Amino acid sequence: MGSTTGTEYPSMSLSWVTLAVVVVIGIFSLFSLYMGFRAFGSENPENSTYYIIIGTAGFAVIGYMFFRTKAITTTRRKSDAPKVDVVTILECPSCNLKRVRDFKRGDYIYKDDEPCTRCDGTMVITGIHRRAEDKKKA
Amino acid sequence: MFLQIEQLFQNQSDIGMILQTLFSLSFIIYLFYAQRIQAMSMLRQVEGTLRKVKSLRDEGRSVSIKAVKEVGKQDLDPALDVDRFMDHFFITPVDMDPAGVVQKLGQLLNVRENVWEAEVRAMAPEASDSQVNNLENLLEAALALNIYYKVIRHYYLLGKKTMNIYIIMQIHMILPLIVREIEAYSSALQAFQEGMPIGDGIGPLVAARMMHGYEYEEVAKEMVAAEVPYEGRTLIVIKAKGPGGSVGKPGDAVGNLINGRKGEKKIKAVIMVDAAGKLEGEATGSIAEGIGAAIGGAGVEKYKIEEAVKAHEIPMYAIAIKEDISHVVAPMVEELFKAAEKAVEAIKRMVVERTEEGDVVLVAGIGNTVGIAQ
Repeated sequence: MGSTTGTEYPSMSLSWVTLAVVVVIGIFSLFSLYMGFRAFGSENPENSTYYIIIGTAGFAVIGYMFFRTKAITTTRRKSDAPKVDVVTILECPSCNLKRVRDFKRGDYIYKDDEPCTRCDGTMVITGIHRRAEDKKKA
Repeated sequence: MFLQIEQLFQNQSDIGMILQTLFSLSFIIYLFYAQRIQAMSMLRQVEGTLRKVKSLRDEGRSVSIKAVKEVGKQDLDPALDVDRFMDHFFITPVDMDPAGVVQKLGQLLNVRENVWEAEVRAMAPEASDSQVNNLENLLEAALALNIYYKVIRHYYLLGKKTMNIYIIMQIHMILPLIVREIEAYSSALQAFQEGMPIGDGIGPLVAARMMHGYEYEEVAKEMVAAEVPYEGRTLIVIKAKGPGGSVGKPGDAVGNLINGRKGEKKIKAVIMVDAAGKLEGEATGSIAEGIGAAIGGAGVEKYKIEEAVKAHEIPMYAIAIKEDISHVVAPMVEELFKAAEKAVEAIKRMVVERTEEGDVVLVAGIGNTVGIAQ
């Protein structure tokens, strides 16, 4: 798997050409909106509709392009695999005391874990599962 | 200059004509380039997924290297060994002549298992058996992520090179399903690194609930069995040996137990418990009862179980605990955990209803037993 580092596929990310296109569309859209607002008070107010449509369409295109770029950047930065909160349930077989704590590495179901705080028994891990909040997301 | 540009748009007919031209132009462009535009749009979506998968693949690799370093306690950098492991492949036997193909597949799978175990032991000589199993599972998850990444990249690059919409569509259409599987494997990284029970472990959890506190012995490779008395019957409960990540050899265990009872009471029924993929709309942790061998995998273990029960005419019942594909190798969700008790009750009811006092019943909890002892 020597290809882990270095460029592995051509990139389609935002280049200077795209940036230039965004700037040109922006200027054009701004100008169009300016013309649209001016046309309201002129002899041909119906022209304002055309100008405003062109202007807003231009800004919509820019917005979409930025949205796409942001999505790509976010994906790049958020490289971590999902991590979930996991809890360990402990029960004392002698006095039935039950306790829930965060999972620790080395925990497993039916492991004799820690001394019981109520009696002289040893607490046994009887359950390990994801924290309940996760079910809303799932 | 500003005024000059403004003059261009002064006349009503000018702006109308420009707009009409633009619409006509876009119509003509779309007429000839619609498919290409669609292909580019699909390629872009595939590219986005590819980035995500690459990131997850890299994460899998780094987590594996970190885990090997922690457990192995070696000064040598295991990166090269991990990379080599992640490129492992498996060639299935030829099936043009299907006679004996299961045995051939079984033999190859055994070789792969032994090779992987040896590789992990070489990477981490200080590791215990459980840690070796967990590391092996972790590396398997990293390997799966690497394969997904390489396949998606292949179709992406091929599509980009040829701009053939049908090549691009092949990967684009199944992308949502693939992404679900990839996300499931990425969740497995945490589970195997830390040794947490996973969704697939619900079968062994049910078996552990029934056999805990009773004497157990190893009946096949990485398989344990315990005799549990219940309502005048004897339940022989089997599961993979935990708490390390292993599925064991349930086929061998069932075969050994059924065929090895010479002079003892014969097994009257086999009940298998396993996690099963749920359909959309079904609740996670819901239980369904059926007939047959409830076991997944390549089919070798299923074949062995079916052969053994057929030879002795033993009825075989199945209990499936439903889970989403995203839960299979991810840390066990609470709904599944709670389903274990319901499955134990279902087994007990099945035993009472379908067997008689004095009968011997084999109960097999199928799945990966990571984080679950017995």
